[in-house]
Amino acid sequence: MRPVAGIGLRSPHLAEIARDTPATGFLEIHAENYLARSPAVLTVERLRRDYEFSVHAVGLSLGSIDGPDEAHLGRVAALIERLQPALVSDHLSWSIAGGRYFNDLLPLPYTEEALEVVVRNVDRLQRRLGRQVLIENPSCYLSYAHSTLSEPEFLSELVCRSGCGLLLDANNIVVTAHNLRLDAVAWLDGLPASAIGEYHLAGHAVNDADGEPILIDDHGSRVSQGVWAFFDEIVRRYGPRPTLVEWDTDLPALDILLDEAARAARALKVDAEADARAA
Amino acid sequence: MPGLRDLQAAFSAYLKGEDRPDLADAVVADTIAASARLRIHRHHVAESLATALGATFSTVQAIVGDQFFRAMARTFVVQDLPRQPVMAEYGAGFPAFVGGYGPATSLPYLADMARLDWALNMAFHAPLEGRLTAPDLTGLPAERLLGQKLALAAGSTLVWSPYPVDRIWQASRPGATVGAVSLEEGPAAVIVLRRPEEATFVSLSLSEAAFVRALDGGASLEEGAEAAFSVDPAFDLASSFARLLALEAFAALQQIC
Repeated sequence: MRPVAGIGLRSPHLAEIARDTPATGFLEIHAENYLARSPAVLTVERLRRDYEFSVHAVGLSLGSIDGPDEAHLGRVAALIERLQPALVSDHLSWSIAGGRYFNDLLPLPYTEEALEVVVRNVDRLQRRLGRQVLIENPSCYLSYAHSTLSEPEFLSELVCRSGCGLLLDANNIVVTAHNLRLDAVAWLDGLPASAIGEYHLAGHAVNDADGEPILIDDHGSRVSQGVWAFFDEIVRRYGPRPTLVEWDTDLPALDILLDEAARAARALKVDAEADARAA
Repeated sequence: MPGLRDLQAAFSAYLKGEDRPDLADAVVADTIAASARLRIHRHHVAESLATALGATFSTVQAIVGDQFFRAMARTFVVQDLPRQPVMAEYGAGFPAFVGGYGPATSLPYLADMARLDWALNMAFHAPLEGRLTAPDLTGLPAERLLGQKLALAAGSTLVWSPYPVDRIWQASRPGATVGAVSLEEGPAAVIVLRRPEEATFVSLSLSEAAFVRALDGGASLEEGAEAAFSVDPAFDLASSFARLLALEAFAALQQIC
């Protein structure tokens, strides 16, 4: 996919998008919202004439010690077979244990054992789909005392051992760096540039924990100024990629979401022009 | 240093409400305590699942209000976490839970409204194809038709209540123009249906409901009609069957032999 900017497709916007087909680079859907044969999935199938798609899974639980649920994996694989999206992704996290799904992207310890588990699960997913998937860095609210690798080291090693790509979420890096007292710019050091296949942008909230501000990745507002500035740094360092603006809570009018994507497109283009001048 | 299996088991137990100091010990604490960091996840699990239930049970939420609904949903969530990641398929046990939820006992119809919400949700996600239409029955002799068993189409569900659930549902819509609904209006039956662009329901007479319930239980058309006659001797098989057929309430026949 070309390095364009698109929007997350959310059901309250579906009818308007189907009617007006507004200009945007691509549409991303959450796999778990389109697994049944609802009118919504038929609309998405029709929209494939007008847009490129990305399928972003939130429930494969690639960090689970017992691996992804086989039935769920089969349903996601069938959706991808039908839609033939340009990109497929899920997260570096876990959400299922003991047969229960928690609807949260839960944090992994960054240990050799966890790395082996995620490599095995990503490998199983990629074999099942017959294609590469992108793995997204999560937003973190805690870290484990027994972690032996940093998150970027863990992701780089995952790329090396599984052949997966990376989905860099600029907002998640800013959230994680703030919450875990890390340097967001240093977080970017040494990532395998050629593996980076997509960027995500979203808004976050500032909440209170023990009297201190903690950033919550709630996808409920415009992208913050700090994240836009950090996104410029990412693009400067790793170049333009397909970029997606996510908005999930307090969903705004479609125009506002499209406006955020247009801003992301400008950020990608400014950098491409700077590269051209340098060359 | 816990292994991943033990860590995920401890985290799961914590999310279900257990006190797990072993988990807190594994989390790095600084000026924000490990317990405060873990609470962010416990809070998100409960709140995000309550939001998902609110989307599915929107009528129940409209009736009781956000605050009451979220408290009720959070109680359910801890008892019955999802078994899979598709949120539209979560909440099958919620209507029964609502029926037994102490603070809601003054609203005896609430569990039936939850059943109606759930049936509408299931219909919305059901496949559209495979429905019986009148031309499918052309040429079938009357006596064969009467002996025919008909299953409900995917997403077709009968909801039968001692309360006027159809009128309560309409009165709960945003901007509803329906006046006050009295529970004395008595029982109601509706059939929930998958339409090309939505899910909807249609009110049935109680004799029609008896007919549909008998067919759904494996009765033939003739046996279904007998069940309907026992409710109302004025039941008109030809017109009621034609109406249900036009609604595409039945599944296509596997074969007519």
